[in-house]
Amino acid sequence: MKTFPAFLYRVALGLTLLGGAPNLRLLPAAELPPERALIAVLQSPADPADKALACRQLAIRGTRNAVPVLAPLLADTNLASWARIALEAIPDPAADAALREAAGKLQGRLLVGVLNSLGRRRDPQGVPVLTARLRDADPEVAGAAAVALGHIGNEAAAAALKARLADAPEALDAALGEGCVRAADQLRAAGRTAAALELYEAARAARLPLQQRLEATRGAILARQADGLPLLLEQLRAEDKPAFALGLRVARELPCVAVTEGLIRALDQLPPARQPLLLRALADRPDAAVLPAVLQAARVGAPELRRTAVELLEHCGDATCVPVLLEAATAADRDLARTARTSLARLRAAGVDAALTDQLDRARGAQRAVLLELCGQRRITSALPMVEPALQDPDPAVRRAALQAVSVLGGEAQVTELARLYMETRDEARRAELEGALLEVSGRVGARVVARLLPLVRHTEPAVRITGVHALAGVGGAQALEAVVAATRDPVEAVQDEAVRALSTWPNNWPEDVAVAEPLLTLMKSGAKRAHQVLGFRGYLQYLQADKRLDDPARVERIRELLPRLQWPEEKQAAISALGALRTAAALDLLQTLAPDAAVTEEVWSALVNLVGRDLPGVSPERRREVLREVISRTRNESLRRRAQQALEAIR
Amino acid sequence: MKSKSLPPNFSRSETSRLSRRAFLRSTARAGAVLALPQILPAAVLGRAGAVPPSERIVMGGIGIGGRGSYVLSVFLQEPDVQVVAIADVQAARRQAAKQRVDARYGNSDCATYRDLRELLARPDIDAVLIATGPNWHAVASTLAAEAGKDVYCEKPCTKNIAESLALAETFRRTARVFQAGTQRRSLPNFAFAVELARTGRLGKLHTVHAQPLGLKTVMSGWYPAEPPPPVEEVDWDLYLGPAAWRPFNRKLLSAFHFEKGGGFVGALGGGGVLEWGSHCVDLCQWAADADHTAPVEYEPAGNRLHARYASGVKLVMRDDGWLPLGSCPVRFEGETGWVETADNGDIEASSPDLLVGRGAKIGGYPADFHVRNFLDCVKTRGQPRANAEVACWSHIACHAANIALLLGRKLRYDPVKNEFPGDAEANRLRGEALREPWRV
Repeated sequence: MKTFPAFLYRVALGLTLLGGAPNLRLLPAAELPPERALIAVLQSPADPADKALACRQLAIRGTRNAVPVLAPLLADTNLASWARIALEAIPDPAADAALREAAGKLQGRLLVGVLNSLGRRRDPQGVPVLTARLRDADPEVAGAAAVALGHIGNEAAAAALKARLADAPEALDAALGEGCVRAADQLRAAGRTAAALELYEAARAARLPLQQRLEATRGAILARQADGLPLLLEQLRAEDKPAFALGLRVARELPCVAVTEGLIRALDQLPPARQPLLLRALADRPDAAVLPAVLQAARVGAPELRRTAVELLEHCGDATCVPVLLEAATAADRDLARTARTSLARLRAAGVDAALTDQLDRARGAQRAVLLELCGQRRITSALPMVEPALQDPDPAVRRAALQAVSVLGGEAQVTELARLYMETRDEARRAELEGALLEVSGRVGARVVARLLPLVRHTEPAVRITGVHALAGVGGAQALEAVVAATRDPVEAVQDEAVRALSTWPNNWPEDVAVAEPLLTLMKSGAKRAHQVLGFRGYLQYLQADKRLDDPARVERIRELLPRLQWPEEKQAAISALGALRTAAALDLLQTLAPDAAVTEEVWSALVNLVGRDLPGVSPERRREVLREVISRTRNESLRRRAQQALEAIR
Repeated sequence: MKSKSLPPNFSRSETSRLSRRAFLRSTARAGAVLALPQILPAAVLGRAGAVPPSERIVMGGIGIGGRGSYVLSVFLQEPDVQVVAIADVQAARRQAAKQRVDARYGNSDCATYRDLRELLARPDIDAVLIATGPNWHAVASTLAAEAGKDVYCEKPCTKNIAESLALAETFRRTARVFQAGTQRRSLPNFAFAVELARTGRLGKLHTVHAQPLGLKTVMSGWYPAEPPPPVEEVDWDLYLGPAAWRPFNRKLLSAFHFEKGGGFVGALGGGGVLEWGSHCVDLCQWAADADHTAPVEYEPAGNRLHARYASGVKLVMRDDGWLPLGSCPVRFEGETGWVETADNGDIEASSPDLLVGRGAKIGGYPADFHVRNFLDCVKTRGQPRANAEVACWSHIACHAANIALLLGRKLRYDPVKNEFPGDAEANRLRGEALREPWRV
């Protein structure tokens, strides 16, 4: 066989060097070396790392030709695991033969690995050697053989495992049990029920650890299908917790309506503490028989069972459950009531909305309030005509619930009604609730409702006008803007203030809100109060950053125009901060002119570092260095100095 | 001179309160809080109040490093949990975890083990937290199940398709409870978005998007041999565990990167489809009602990977074009609407109406709800949200994507036979032999 010089192995394998160490890198398959080259590596004195990678790549490229070269590595302490990666993957029967041969020769952990591989490949011809190894003196070897036989899972493997149950040493019990159940599960899946049952029962009768006996019991129940019910009930009635826990799991797995009915009959006979747990398991079964049982428990169960049933109805209930849940929703038991309301809000079945609205006209008091809340929570828009009159119900709880529903369901028409009610009421608490609903509905509907809100800003009472401003701010658009601008000239100062606040955060819907720029500039230049001017300026800066029609140089120009009007350091700082985010040479030029102002020097330095710390269009690396050097020499902020230094070093 | 600061009543936060964007969000949250899919645990399971020792779930922690410390702390907060033991192959980590447990209970009772098998042999332990490196996850979970323990296992839970199938089979056969550490399954924003997709509120679902980060596969490294430390300090043989042998080198002791994701993505590649895909692809599986299957086609396309379910729904894995909502974003698109959410807890949708009832925002992907869901299922024996079956299929979707990336071509997958039909090359990459004596 041809051999390659060591450096060629690396070239052939595509190995790259990293810090002098080979990086085990699995190449894209298209670039993998041919099998011939990989075999050559294994036959050479190459480094273990190179051989390891060759094995890994043979898992993709290898054929029967590679098997004779891989097989000797099964006895190599360091490379055996790599060799098995290839041998487990190569589909040719030669790989099975090599593993079987090694299984007859190796000892200890290396043998365990080979037995594991025989199991993974499910090699039926491996049964004899595995059966022999079941009696190996090393319990790890015998255990690996048992589990491998379980993976193979044919009749021969099952017979070998069953035979060993009779006389296995205790150290083998767990693996032997695992092997038995694995094999029996495979027989069951293949339809060989009698053989599977025989093995399950043998395992159940043997001296195995609890976990493996539980697994065998599970298999024995499932293999019997509906006839497994008595054994399942035995688990559910057992005093020990592990058996009961197993029963709860298998109660979800074992199909058949007769099983469901049997479990329902058993429910009442269990101790009260176990009943809610079985009810949960029942609710996970897809049978129609489950719902009546859960409903019955929701009606008349003991408190904890009833709470559980009410909770479960969310998932397994339908429209017929509405009356029971509604009754529970107003029960004195607060946990029960809360759980019922949650279930009603989330119940997805068809017809539930209709069942709820049907009750709405008849219901009174707490139940009517619950129904109204549910109309909102479930977004039953068709219920609006019944919900809206309840806004004026004499019962405050009903009114609140109706308001909550209208908040969610309401549209244009409800804005008019809410505004009317708001203007009529004198009760402060009621007004606050109505204001919240009004803002929610109008904000959701948008500019279509402006005309319906205008009566608020024209109202005689300042508090109502303020609410009108709030509502219009949530709606936006040209007409709302006009009304809020007008409110900045309101005779009452508090209304003016709210209107200015609203304008200063106005630009939030593009492009229809760009018109706010002019009023904000006007405010900034000639606002009635200094605070109004500041807010006008801030709002304008926010607008500048958001207006997508402007490019960065245009934004810089707008800020330049503003600068002579800025008096307070806070205003200048805001402008400088905005400039630092505009990635254009014009921003750099303008910022540098601001540095001499002692009140904002440090802010300028910080913005400059932000700006030139990375590439800036139209600005040379040399100029960036100059700027950073200036900052380093002049800033008093150590942290900024370090940042500038790092940025300077990063410029190449 | 008076301060030139702005009047307090004109503070920035104050003036921002009427921002329409925030306003619409508050609108969306109002009113219908209860419509949120059920995430919060059921109080009826005995969580509230003091829990008698006989009713507590006795737990052990296996492989408690950075992530494990966080999840362990979540378990320690639960009143019906008693952590009694820690196993780790590294002495420093063993001791740090023990101190954390002992500090919680005000004693020095927490036992420590180097070998996880000793911890698993304790009959008093009901359940374990497995937070080793990904190399160990499936094997340790299997050992735990065979020892009769319920398992909360960090992700990625498996290294390849064969391990994924074995994990699901093991937890079926043993009837133990398994929860993958994909805690986003138990977070309200993700659950809400998934519910929109599953209940038809987006119209007929046609595309789900995930950001697995790093669509590439790289194998764990092999470095020059260094003198191994004493076995009590670092048990290198146990650290390697099921990974194929290589000599000791301290650089490989970052379990987080060692033998991760398909056995191909490791020390030098980081990330890979499995690291984040086990979260975001898992969420897409959930949204596409595909918890018991996986896509049937996988096609690398530049810096994206396109997959398709048998139902016709497309799964797009991509790193670009996401809204700024934080890490691990997902997006679900139907014929009439879309929804996108991520780790900051915000939800964006094609219409504000879709967001009505979204409930409170919870950002930062805490594990609390997910841990609670696991503990409740330990008691009820029900299936947790990220049970072994669910984890199996979401991991298979990621592994198959990894294989398509490695092979650099389109693959078809049969989720019934669990094979790439007629594709011997891809089929060979479904599994990988484990180092002796380990098996799944």
